[in-house]
Amino acid sequence: MFRLGARQVARSTGARNYATLREIEMRLKSIKNIEKITNTMKVVASTRLNKAQRAMTASRVFHKSEAEFLENTEPEKNAEEKTLLVVVSSDKGLCGSIHSQISKYARKRIAELNGNADVVAIGDKVRQQLTRTHADSVKLAFNGIGKEAPNFYEVALMVDEIKKLGEYANIEVLYNKFTSGVSFEPSTFNAYTAAAIEAAQGLSKYDLESEDISSTASEFGLANSLLSAMAEGYASEISARRNAMDNASKNAGDMINKYTILYNRSRQAVITNELVDIITGASSLD
Amino acid sequence: MFRQALRQVAKQSTVVRRTYATEAVASDALKLSLALPHQTLYSDSEVEQVNLPSVNGDLGILANHIPIVEQLRPGLLEIISKTGETEQYFVSGGIATVQPGNKLTISAIEAFKPEQIDTHAVKNLIADAQKRAESSDEVVAAEATIELEVLEALSHVAK
Repeated sequence: MFRLGARQVARSTGARNYATLREIEMRLKSIKNIEKITNTMKVVASTRLNKAQRAMTASRVFHKSEAEFLENTEPEKNAEEKTLLVVVSSDKGLCGSIHSQISKYARKRIAELNGNADVVAIGDKVRQQLTRTHADSVKLAFNGIGKEAPNFYEVALMVDEIKKLGEYANIEVLYNKFTSGVSFEPSTFNAYTAAAIEAAQGLSKYDLESEDISSTASEFGLANSLLSAMAEGYASEISARRNAMDNASKNAGDMINKYTILYNRSRQAVITNELVDIITGASSLD
Repeated sequence: MFRQALRQVAKQSTVVRRTYATEAVASDALKLSLALPHQTLYSDSEVEQVNLPSVNGDLGILANHIPIVEQLRPGLLEIISKTGETEQYFVSGGIATVQPGNKLTISAIEAFKPEQIDTHAVKNLIADAQKRAESSDEVVAAEATIELEVLEALSHVAK
């Protein structure tokens, strides 16, 4: 409304060039502001990236022992039972395709399982994207996490909530695996139930004193996978955000250049026009 | 043809490797990885002996121990290095696994050295938890009992 009114006022004065010049100037200013914002976000993401990567390396080592245990015991999945997919992402956007990639991966997995799957969404973005297509499958969603590198306490609370959904024969944690500063790929961690671990062939390799170790291993394994997944997802997200913001700043820079040239040209044109007006006016007096 | 032959060779070699990894124990030294969710304290480093506080009692683990999985209870973890020096950590809980191949991996939730712990703070926290353990709310009482267990183990360790 306001902008429209301003344009009409400008037009009524008759000097059309002034209006476009003012418009270009306003446009230029807003692009410069956007560039400042994206640039700051990029700097923030770069500083966070180091910390995120450190958290990720620590969680990888933490997860390694669990992974090795599963590798040795080789528990088997029960293909007929229902699968719980825990899709790990976060709340904030402006980080490229990170959320859509993981939801695409989740959709593919649901299709592979012929829809015999329930979904736990971690992060608002992935919840929104998955409820659009699989509203019935999404049983539980968390938000407000993923702002910082994950800690064990919040992961333990989440596992508690997930356990309240009931017993699932198969649990898969889907997350964005951090491969390098410029790339990530959606991957899966498997978590097994106590029954599956007990039935595993390789369990005899281990000498077990206490009976309930399989249930401990199963719960701890889920928490462990979730923590690792979140740490990886967080690192991927930060690095994706840095790249996205870097690109946005570059694009804004290009636009600024173009608009500056355009602005200068139109200003020059206006000046020339005015000069012509003045000179013709002066010469007509002679 | 050539590729097939290559694949067969490759397949054989992995089979050979697998038997090595499970049966022949390569090194005589115990390899310890002690990991916290946010930090790695030991990563595949060779040590002499590790004493663990397990839920089934304390365990001393030397090289060539049979593979086990143990749940840790709050207590003191002792690591004796090759040179005979002892490092102590207080752990709040976690899982210790001796893997086939002479490797010990400990995933603890938290670990601190005993000298990092403030005894006064521990005493205050114990008094606080004892009050809450008598609460009528079951959840609060259960949480407080767990806290007490950790804190009492901690007060034995703290100097």
